[in-house]
Amino acid sequence: MTETEAVHKLPEAQGFALIGKRIQRLDALDKVLGLPLYTSDIVPKDALRVKVVRSTVPHALIKRIDTQPAREMPGVLAVLTAEDIPGLNESFAMLPDRPLLASKKVRCQGEAIVVVAAGDLETAEEGADRVSVEYERLPTVTSPVEAMKLNSILIHDSGNVAKYLRVRKGDVKEGFRQADVIIENTYTTQFQDSAPLEPEVGMAWVEKDGSITCVGSMQTPYYVQTGVAKVLGLNPDKVRVIQATTGGAFGPKSDEMPVDTCAISALVAQKTGKPAILEYSRHESMIAHTKRHPFVITLKTGAKNDGRLTASEALVVSDTGAYASLGPLVIIRACFHATGPYVIPHVKTDAYCVYTNNTMAGSFRGFGSPQVHFAAESQMDELARKLDMDPIDLRLKNMLRPGTLTATSQLVDEACGLEECTRRAIEASNWRSKRTEFSHDRGAFRRGIGIALMYHGNSLGPEGNDYAYVHVLIKPGAKVVVRTALTEYGTGAVSGLAQVAAEILGLPIESFELDRADTASCHETGPTVASRVTVIGGRATQLAALKLKERILAVGGDLLQCEPSKLTIKDALVRHLDDPRRAVTFQKVVEECYKRHVNLTETGFYTAPKCEFEGENSQGTTYLQYTYGAVIAEVQVDTELGVVKPVKIIAAYDVGRAINPLSVEGQIEGGTIQGLGYGLTEQLIHLDGMVANPTLGDYYIPTSLDIPEIQTIIVEYPGAIGPYGAKAMGEPPVDLPAAALANAVAHATGSRVFNLPLTPEKVLFATKRKI
Amino acid sequence: MNGKDHALVVESTERLLDVLRDRLDLKGVKEGCGTGDCGTCTVIMDGQLVNSCLVLAVQARDKRITTIEGVGTREKLHPVQKALMKYNAAQCGFCTPAMVLAGKNLLDHNPTPSRAEIKEAISGVLCRCTGYYKIIDAIHDAAKEIAGVKS
Repeated sequence: MTETEAVHKLPEAQGFALIGKRIQRLDALDKVLGLPLYTSDIVPKDALRVKVVRSTVPHALIKRIDTQPAREMPGVLAVLTAEDIPGLNESFAMLPDRPLLASKKVRCQGEAIVVVAAGDLETAEEGADRVSVEYERLPTVTSPVEAMKLNSILIHDSGNVAKYLRVRKGDVKEGFRQADVIIENTYTTQFQDSAPLEPEVGMAWVEKDGSITCVGSMQTPYYVQTGVAKVLGLNPDKVRVIQATTGGAFGPKSDEMPVDTCAISALVAQKTGKPAILEYSRHESMIAHTKRHPFVITLKTGAKNDGRLTASEALVVSDTGAYASLGPLVIIRACFHATGPYVIPHVKTDAYCVYTNNTMAGSFRGFGSPQVHFAAESQMDELARKLDMDPIDLRLKNMLRPGTLTATSQLVDEACGLEECTRRAIEASNWRSKRTEFSHDRGAFRRGIGIALMYHGNSLGPEGNDYAYVHVLIKPGAKVVVRTALTEYGTGAVSGLAQVAAEILGLPIESFELDRADTASCHETGPTVASRVTVIGGRATQLAALKLKERILAVGGDLLQCEPSKLTIKDALVRHLDDPRRAVTFQKVVEECYKRHVNLTETGFYTAPKCEFEGENSQGTTYLQYTYGAVIAEVQVDTELGVVKPVKIIAAYDVGRAINPLSVEGQIEGGTIQGLGYGLTEQLIHLDGMVANPTLGDYYIPTSLDIPEIQTIIVEYPGAIGPYGAKAMGEPPVDLPAAALANAVAHATGSRVFNLPLTPEKVLFATKRKI
Repeated sequence: MNGKDHALVVESTERLLDVLRDRLDLKGVKEGCGTGDCGTCTVIMDGQLVNSCLVLAVQARDKRITTIEGVGTREKLHPVQKALMKYNAAQCGFCTPAMVLAGKNLLDHNPTPSRAEIKEAISGVLCRCTGYYKIIDAIHDAAKEIAGVKS
C-alpha cells in the first residue's frame, strides 16, 4: 500500500485545522527558558531535609534499630521509625506486601527503615549515618527460576509466585505434531533503570486546619493522595496532592516511589510542624525505585517447511524483586504478547511473576512488552535460519493482518497497519540488497541488518478500569484552560489534549493554557500510565469540548440570528456555514455567554468499553486497539572486541492518527534510544541482591555520541478507541530496538546472543563459539 | 554572573551548584546526579562548559559564569532556544537549560558546526526523553539562523 492510499483511509483527513499538524507544545517557551518549577525549585526556606536509612543487606531479620545517636545529634529534629506511623505502615501498588518503613524484616537492599530530618541535608545525612541497624542475615534467592521451586527460600509467607496466568489456544500438542521444524530457546533480559533525569522527590507541609499538602514529581496524584492518607491515618480529603513539573518519569513515578517520598515527608511535617522535603540522590533512586523486570523466557516454536507457524509454547518468568509493585499487571501484558504479532493456531503460554531478593521491579515504559518482543523476535530469526528463509519472508507469511486471530483469539480489525509498516521499513532500508551484501563481509568489522515486528495492546485493557475525566473551561477573556489529573511528565500528551479541544472549538493552540494536576481542582481520573493520556484522555477532552461548542453555537446563533446548526467555529470566528461573512468573534460570543450566565466549564468523562475475555485461558478481546510497528536496525560489529556500533535504525509505526506528528516523532526517537540502551549497554547489575552499579557513571544510558542515524515512518490506520483514531505512542517505541539490534548482530556475526544487553563480552563469546 | 558582579563569602566546601541555586536563586541550574555524570547542572564558566556540581564555589572566583537565566528572555530568545521550541526538543525540560547552554557555547565558538560537532558539544549532557535528534536538529537550525542574520 502506498502512502497516498493510507491517507485516504482517514475519514475527514483533509478537513482538520490542527489535528495532524506539527504544533509547538504549550510549555515549550517556559522550558527553553528554564522557568518550569520542579519540586526542588520551590522548597520553602524553613523546610526540613529528610534522609532515609535503608537496608544494606538483601534478606534479613531486623534484630535491633539504634536511633539514639541520631536523636542526640545537634540539629537533628526528627527521627522516625515504623512505630511513629499513625496510620497504616504500608506502601504498595497492588498486593499488600510492602511496608513504608521496614521494622521486622528486610527482603531486599534499599528498604526504608529509619527517617532522619534536619534543617540541612548535611546534618540529616550525618544523623542517618549514626543510626545503626543490626541484622540477622537470611539466605537469599535471587533467581526467579530458583524462587519458583517448591523448596525455595520463602520471601513472603504467601509464597514466591505473586501472579500466574496462562493462554491456551487450540491444542499445542497437535500444533507441534503438524510442525516440520521445531526450535526451542531460552532468552533472558536484565534490570533496566528508567533513569529520569530528575530523581524522585516529594515535599509536604501541614496546613492550618491540620490537612496535608504534598507537592512532588509524579505521574498519578490520586494514587499519592490515597497512599499518603493511609499512612497518616487521615481521610483522603485531608490530603491535597499537587504535581510539580516532573523531570521525566517513564513508569516508576506511577507506583510506590511518589507515595514513599510524599508520605515520608508528610510524616516529618506532621511530627515537626515544618515543611519537609525528601529528595532521592541518584544512587538512592537507582537502588530504591522500581525497574524493568528481568525475564527468563523459554520459547518452543513449530513451523511447516514453508514457514507457516503451527504452534508456540512459552514459559515466561518475571523477577519482580522483593515486592510485587505492578509486577502482576506487567506479567499480564507480557503473557498476552509473548508470541509476538503472529498468527499461530496453537498457543500455550504460562506466565509467572516471581518474588526474589533483588530490588523491586515495577512499571516501566513498555510494561513487559520489550522483554517478550526481544524473545519472540529473536526466535523468529532463529526459525528463519533453521528454515533457510529470509527473516522478512517468514514474518510476511505469518504476521497479523485484518481478519486474523491473535494468540488470545482476538479478531484483528481493519486498524492493523503491521504489513504496511513492514513493507515501508523494508523499502526504506534497502533490506534485500543489504542482507546479501553484508553477508559477504569478511575481516574484523562485519555489518548486519535485522528486523523486529511488534504489536502493543493500547491503554489498560485487562489491567484496570479505563476511564478519564478532563475539564475544559473558557475564561472570560476567551482563554481556554485544559485541566486534568492526567499528568504531563515530558511527552507533551497534555498539550495534545489542548490540540484536540482546539480542533473542536475552532481556536488556535495559542488560545490554550494548561493547568497543574492538583487533587484540589481535578477529578480523580485513573493513572497516567499505559500511554492513556491521548487515547482515553483525548476522548474525554472531545466530549467536554463538544458540549462547550454546542453552548457557544447556541449563543452565536442568537447573535447572528440563525439556527446554531448553521454555524461553525473556525479561526476563532463563529460563522455561518453558507455565508462566511456572517460571523462574530469567538471572544464576543464568550463575553455574551458570561453576560447570560451560560456555563462555560465542562467536564468530559470517557470510559472505555470493557475487554471481554475468558479468564482461565485468556481467550477473547484483551485490548481494544493495538499499535503496530516494524523496526530495522543496521549495525557494525567489531568481531575482535565484540563492540556493537548501531549504524541506522528505521522505525515504522502504525500510530492510528498522529495528533501531533512532531510529538509522535519525539516519542519514537526517544523511545528508540531508550530501547537502544536496553539492547546494548543498560544493565543494573545485582550481585546476590546488591546493586553493583547505582550511578550514571557505571550505568550507561546512551549519550548523543551513541545514537545511530534514524528514520521514522508514520503509518496511520485509525483505531477504534482513540480520538480521531489515535493509538498509544508513548510506550511502544521502546519495545523493539533491542530485538532488532540482536537480530542485526546475529546477522553480522552468524551467532546469536540470547541475553540482553548485547555487551562486548557476550557478543565476543558468541562469535568465538561459532568460529 | 550573567553579566553582573556578585560578591559572596562562601565556605570552602560549597559547590558552585548550591551557591547558584540556593544563594543566587538561579533555579534553572538542575541537579540530576551530583557526580558529574548527567550534565543537567552544566553552566558556562569563562567560555567552557562545566558541571557545577563538580566545581567548588571558590573555584568560580573572578570567573565569568552564564546560566540559563542569562541566555534569553521571553521577548528575545536566543536562536538555540527558538529552534528547540520549533522542534519540540524540550520534553520533560530537565536537561533543557544545560542543552541550551551547550548549544549556545558551541555556536559562540563555532558558528557553523557539523552534526558531528553538535553531537560532540552536547555529549556531556544526558537526555532521557528525546534521543537527542530534535536537539541536534534544533542547534543545527539555530546555526543556520545565526549565519543568515549575519550575512
